[in-house]
Amino acid sequence: MASTATEAAAQPAAAAEQQQVNGNGEQKTRHSEVGHKSLLKSDDLYQYILETSVYPREPESMKELREVTAKHPWNLMTTSADEGQFLNMLLKLIGAKKTMEIGVYTGYSLLATALAIPEDGTILAMDINRENYELGLPCIEKAGVAHKIDFREGPALPVLDQLLEDDANHGSFDFVFVDADKDNYLNYHERLMKLVKMGGLIGYDNTLWNGSVVLPADAPMRKYIRYYRDFVIELNKALAADDRVEICQLPVGDGVTLCRRVK
Amino acid sequence: MATGGRDGSVPVVHSDKTLLRSRNLYKQYVLETTVLPNEPECMRELRILTDNHEKGIMASPPDEAQLLQMLIKLTGAKTTIEVGVFTGYSLLATALALPDDGKVIAIDTNPEYYELGRPFIEKAGVAHKVDFRAGLALQHLDELLADEANHGAFDFAFVDADKPSYVKYHEQLLRLVRVGGVLVYDNTLWDGTVALPPDAPMSDMDRRISAAVRELNARLAADGRVEVCQLTIADGVTICRRVV
Repeated sequence: MASTATEAAAQPAAAAEQQQVNGNGEQKTRHSEVGHKSLLKSDDLYQYILETSVYPREPESMKELREVTAKHPWNLMTTSADEGQFLNMLLKLIGAKKTMEIGVYTGYSLLATALAIPEDGTILAMDINRENYELGLPCIEKAGVAHKIDFREGPALPVLDQLLEDDANHGSFDFVFVDADKDNYLNYHERLMKLVKMGGLIGYDNTLWNGSVVLPADAPMRKYIRYYRDFVIELNKALAADDRVEICQLPVGDGVTLCRRVK
Repeated sequence: MATGGRDGSVPVVHSDKTLLRSRNLYKQYVLETTVLPNEPECMRELRILTDNHEKGIMASPPDEAQLLQMLIKLTGAKTTIEVGVFTGYSLLATALALPDDGKVIAIDTNPEYYELGRPFIEKAGVAHKVDFRAGLALQHLDELLADEANHGAFDFAFVDADKPSYVKYHEQLLRLVRVGGVLVYDNTLWDGTVALPPDAPMSDMDRRISAAVRELNARLAADGRVEVCQLTIADGVTICRRVV
């Protein structure tokens, strides 16, 4: 999951809420899964799903990457294990081969994707932060799937625009996963509608935005949640009304909206 | 799927059709923003009729029907099976999603409920895709299995029926659905009761079903013939992809 400079500045503020100060005045960050736990009726239920259906099936490489990420201060940005499993299943169901990921962070969903697509499958992966990607890269290399990844450091919009300059790229992608700066999702959408093939799939992450999409505007909420909330609400409205796609919004993680291109 | 709690001392299970903490997030948001605006008219009509039925709680909610349709279209499924029909809301969703030459074999012990929904399926112009069979699913599935031509002939199966039989349906469906095909099981979280401590108060029926569902989940998770994914949509939906 990428972060714009603004979102990056906002994230540590959120992570800071989980920080504890130890005896030496050092701040220690506690891993917290903000999005998914709070969406379900009970945290125990989420734990049940993880322990029953997710962790026993989680590939070793993904487990390692998840553990590496848990130590990172911005770890609440990561894709959760149940969402990784879902993406993996989805990709196999649709037989995706040529894919894209906007927003990588340490690469958990990227690895889930790389493991799912065939040997000659490809992922064009974009993130403004190469350092985070390199944190997870050893796990991806160890899994033997790094050769499928074409990582581009920097904002995604210029890359998408460049792809669109070549007609051969139009309608060429089977699957795109967008887990990045919410204020640009609609901008990505316009370009992805031309890059994804007919019948192809786009997945937008965090579309329930911690449940804040249904709260009144003056309800108490974390700063970064409030900052991006309007963009997410606008995105959801736009996707529901977009007749170029059929959609399905799932409460996986922080809400994932699947869009199948039909026009 | 009657709810417990008639004597007030036991929590009501399945009082609403979501596992989300916030009913508003589900009803006002997911349904109102994403699901209902895109719900076909025939499905809406059938849903309203079914909501007024005394057993209305058994019907699949519209967000789940939307997921089924997405899965069918994404996988290009053509020949499918539905175990458990009730009034036919998910059946109608399936028939609408299948291609024109697609087929769904739909099995339920109660043809009367199906008759309530059949007019909507006909009005939608998709009745020709539906092959309804009244009776016990275990028997009908065995009959299908008796003909070798049916082995691995199906692309997709949706099971929304008597929970204690799911493990048996699984064995039958694994031979009917092709390798790479999809099996979808409904109610696999039984209103979240699967995560409660064993002595948590609940009706006898819910306790029995919750135990059956826990058993199913454990078995599916350990079953090397499928890859699994358990979603928290509706009452818990487990998607299985046959790999062996």
